[in-house]
Amino acid sequence: MRRIVTTLLLTAALAAGPALPAAAHKVVAGAYAAGDQIEGEVGFSDGSMANNALVEVLAEDGSKIGETHTNPEGVFTFTPTRSIVHIFRVDLGGGHVAEVRLDVADLPAALRAPAAASAPTGPATTPAAPSAAVADRPPTPAQQAAFASALRDELRPLRREIIALKEKNDLQSVLGGIGYIVGLFGLWFFLAARRQMRKAGGH
Amino acid sequence: MHIVDGALSPPVLIGGAALAVAGIGIGLRRMPMEKIPAAGVLSATFFVASLVHVPVGPSSVHLILNGLAGLVLGWAAFPALFVALLLQAVFFGFGGLTVLGVNTVDIALPAVTVGMLCRAGIVRSSPRGAAIWGALGGGLAIALTSVCVALALALSGEAFIPAAKLVLVAHIPVMLIEAAITGAAVYLAQRVKPELFTAFGASTEHG
Repeated sequence: MRRIVTTLLLTAALAAGPALPAAAHKVVAGAYAAGDQIEGEVGFSDGSMANNALVEVLAEDGSKIGETHTNPEGVFTFTPTRSIVHIFRVDLGGGHVAEVRLDVADLPAALRAPAAASAPTGPATTPAAPSAAVADRPPTPAQQAAFASALRDELRPLRREIIALKEKNDLQSVLGGIGYIVGLFGLWFFLAARRQMRKAGGH
Repeated sequence: MHIVDGALSPPVLIGGAALAVAGIGIGLRRMPMEKIPAAGVLSATFFVASLVHVPVGPSSVHLILNGLAGLVLGWAAFPALFVALLLQAVFFGFGGLTVLGVNTVDIALPAVTVGMLCRAGIVRSSPRGAAIWGALGGGLAIALTSVCVALALALSGEAFIPAAKLVLVAHIPVMLIEAAITGAAVYLAQRVKPELFTAFGASTEHG
């Protein structure tokens, strides 16, 4: 008997050991504006990135706008040309599909303004509107671009961490799920018992 | 092992949902009342098992333990695993709500099959023999699940052979580990509570 218990404990320990860095086998993807491009990342939630995966860029109605590939770090870039919702779809095979939706408000600044069909030619020369509201000497576009790119570099690890954090399963959800299971099966048990008692009472 | 939203074509999703509803219906009707707590425990086991990750090369796969559920529950594995899958989709984002039917069938149908094939062997044998049958069932359930997943992907347009290879190869370690765990669990159950397998088999035959 004691041997069984030790075997079971050993099995449990073996099973639980690798579980500690609880990484799900699931595709994660993110996309965000970077300068006049859209940059995104694709990988598995256990940290491995998608190498040279095809990323399809779709419009909201499902029509294809374009496509791009990820580099070995799982990063892809796409240069949007239209001010519409972009949907990035990656199929890593074996049922691993991810979709990222980028609304118009999240597009690069040049495309962020509401798409006015009447004025596609005019605003090309004026830089993005938000800069006008700043102080007496607004930074030059070159400076702005440099700031933006530096900021992006600083924020990239943070973004990665947030993506990873979203995939984390904490103890609360595990316990909550078990609680739901107990409750549902308790309810089922209750209903079955009531039915049986009614049947017994009827006879 | 969970197929995610958007990977399958609508006919496959609808077909999977219909099959899952049928299986859940059979499971609910065949369930004797005194087995409901056991179904709950196995449902919770399955729910948590998906968080136990086994590293394979650069990636990782997680435990499934559907074979054990099938061995103990038979058809009742359908409702038990469905509930667990639903909660996994809601809490962990594994799979998704539209693919719930397909995932339920992919995981519960092998469980039921294994229950039918291996339970008789477990009931008949000594604890040691039962452990071997249990291990066989645990491994077989994963193999069948891999085939089901590959089939669902193939029906949605992905080439069957590469998809099956990918899924099956990734799950060979899981198969081995699950065989060991299921074997150990069956051995223990057969030693301390052999009626876990027999009582249920008998009561299903009554309806």
